[in-house]
Amino acid sequence: MDQFDSFIGFARLILLALVPYVLASQGTMLSGRTGVFNVAQEGIMLLGASVGFLVALYTKSLLIGIVAAAVAGGIIGLALAYFSSTLKMDQFVIGLALFFIGLGASSLAFKLVVGVTLQLPRVPTLSNLRIPLLGDIPILGEILFNQNALVYFSVLISIALYYYLYQTSWGLELRAVGENPKSADSLGVNVVLMQYATTIIGSALIGVAGAYLPMVYTGVFTQGITQGRGWLAIALTFFGGWRPQLILLGAFFFAIVEVLSLRAQIVGSAIPYQFLRTLPYITTIFVMIYAFRWTRVPAFLGLNYDREKRSLS
Amino acid sequence: MTPSESTLLEMRGVRKTFGPVIALDNVTLNVKRGEIHGLLGGNGAGKTTLMNVLFGLYKADAGEIAVDGRVAQVRSPREAIGLGIGMVHQQFLQVNSFSAAENIVLGTPLRNRPTLDLTTPKQKIRALSEKFGLSLDPDATLESQPMGVRQRVEILKALYRDAKLLILDEPTTMLTPQQVDSLFNSLRAMVKSGLSVIFITHKLREVLTLCERITVLRNGKSVITLAREEATEDTFIKAMVGEEMNIGRSLLFAKSSYETEIAQVGSKELLKVDGLSVEAASQENQVISDWSFTLREGEILGVAGVAGNGQHELAESLMGIRPCKGKVVFDGAEMTTLVTRDLLARGIAYVPENRWDDGLLPKATVAQNLILGSHRRPPYSNGLMLNLGAILKRSQELIDEFKIKTESPQSLAANLSGGNVQRMMLARAFSQNPKLMIVHNPTQGLDIPSTEFVYNKLLERKRAGMGTLLISENLDELFLMCNRVAAIYRGRIVGVLERGQFDAYRVGRMMSGLE
Repeated sequence: MDQFDSFIGFARLILLALVPYVLASQGTMLSGRTGVFNVAQEGIMLLGASVGFLVALYTKSLLIGIVAAAVAGGIIGLALAYFSSTLKMDQFVIGLALFFIGLGASSLAFKLVVGVTLQLPRVPTLSNLRIPLLGDIPILGEILFNQNALVYFSVLISIALYYYLYQTSWGLELRAVGENPKSADSLGVNVVLMQYATTIIGSALIGVAGAYLPMVYTGVFTQGITQGRGWLAIALTFFGGWRPQLILLGAFFFAIVEVLSLRAQIVGSAIPYQFLRTLPYITTIFVMIYAFRWTRVPAFLGLNYDREKRSLS
Repeated sequence: MTPSESTLLEMRGVRKTFGPVIALDNVTLNVKRGEIHGLLGGNGAGKTTLMNVLFGLYKADAGEIAVDGRVAQVRSPREAIGLGIGMVHQQFLQVNSFSAAENIVLGTPLRNRPTLDLTTPKQKIRALSEKFGLSLDPDATLESQPMGVRQRVEILKALYRDAKLLILDEPTTMLTPQQVDSLFNSLRAMVKSGLSVIFITHKLREVLTLCERITVLRNGKSVITLAREEATEDTFIKAMVGEEMNIGRSLLFAKSSYETEIAQVGSKELLKVDGLSVEAASQENQVISDWSFTLREGEILGVAGVAGNGQHELAESLMGIRPCKGKVVFDGAEMTTLVTRDLLARGIAYVPENRWDDGLLPKATVAQNLILGSHRRPPYSNGLMLNLGAILKRSQELIDEFKIKTESPQSLAANLSGGNVQRMMLARAFSQNPKLMIVHNPTQGLDIPSTEFVYNKLLERKRAGMGTLLISENLDELFLMCNRVAAIYRGRIVGVLERGQFDAYRVGRMMSGLE
């Protein structure tokens, strides 16, 4: 296991493992910032993995597969936005229902298209994209600038989200919707439109996070391929205090734990890997207890805004 | 100017229903350019509903709105803002974690949207705030700011959008008398520069001081519109309360005839509080430090303060809901360590301020809510089973006495309107006939006859020698009913005034920590 033992290999693996957490968590954060609390990540990721894999298999293009995964995620997001923002139904109930739909649809689609076979079909995994010049820096270049395109994308989208939310007036409006939608509404911000947009884009990101798994890790789609990463993305969003920059940092911790537990699984270690896999959840709980101010969540998270309702909350 | 040219806003035949409730019925309102127009009425008269229709928050069932003589469709606040209408809601619509400037510019088309460069907007905000005497720090985060400043932010929000018509919904409820004066001066400066203001209130004194013309609403109907000099105070009172009340014998309007009775106090101490301290649950700082006071039999002791200065904690610690330090002696026995259940049994009752969260079981019936707290005692319970017959009989009596509007005692409490929930809370507390009653903002959300009813009930308790701790943000109410008023600021008692020394400005200074 050369990859684990060399520092470069270890660091590269962490960046590789970072991507699904970052994408899924930023997607969660984005809709949460307008008050829509998405809890269907695990289902959306599975659907994204399945649809992305199948489309890539038949079009022979990973890019089209990724786009298809984003569309599939976006459709689930549209449903979530419709039920919560338009119909004002309970977001958690809808989110859980959408999780089950994603879970079921992902394996159904695979069985309908591929059927039952002994020889699982494969897609080529996403190749590395060496950044000119930067990729030639010793050690760092190998770790940071010789990765697949989605690694760069996940870092860039985090930076872009940070800039958008905190440095533009659109971001100010977006954050206001999640903090006090009535205030935003009374100032002429279109609350419903904001919620639809963020929920659809956020879910599309989560869908891409799912497609990443067969396209980078395994080359094949298997049931339950996400292994709980969707749930962990919710934990990471709280861990990162619903802020894009901290989510990116927090994702490193989640990725390190994942790589370590993988290592424990393969080479064996004194600490059971099952325990390692629970670490992110436990840490998130402690972070929420002791740094509550830091993990401040959008005030209107999970609630539905109804203009004609006489009292908020 | 012809009449039509001087008219800025006209609302005609506005009707709005919420389910079976008719909130507005054929309401007409006419506001001229450059005037402060008072919208007067008791709680539940429909003032706020009417303004929410005007601001596009509520969709009217019928009626017409014309701005500048042109009929306008107002389907959303965005359209209202576009017509030059700005509204300061009673509960401020602000993002607490944003700065004042961010709250003000939110939703406006900034010239440089991608950079959120607030330099130019801040200059405009400063200019407006100087012009109208609305001083504030544009960079301060709102959660740290006092109510007076947060209200200025709301007003500046409207001015920043070049509002021609500013609506203020009960803007004085959370202000000290000094802050009220400063607000009035700002409003006068605004109309002088050509704006129109709609000033919503239930306080007659305020409209008479400030407004040129006054429209009175009652039970969702517009009763009259009169210029201030055209009518006497009595005309407006009659329009507000209707014919059902005898104003000449009213506690609210014929105060002097009750003065000697209210001034009387018993001699025996009922409650003695010594060194009461309450620590905040989340942070270490004390929210109440070292309070000592006594309350005699037949006394109504008032607690005056801006909301959030320890009122809630005082009530909850005396009721055993919140842990506290210090010594509390009630009716000759120490009760510091007793739990709420025992305190209820010994004759203390509590009407919480936040009736929805602290006072009500929304999914229980009105009858069940009415006997809550007495439900362990006969005749409602034999210790094991509830006696439904006795409960229904008693609750029907209370529903009749307190005029709670409900289909039956068996209806769900959640279906009651705000004012009726308050009547239910009061009925519950008064029916326990407690030796000591702690009431927090008891008349909030009540119309004038109901307020009058509550004051009469308090007077009855006084005659019977019972004590009342009246916590209120309404100075008029405190000065009307109390024998003594304690002013509090940031968890401390600043001073206690005796009846006869009551002075709104003095209490205002004490409440803002200036004395």
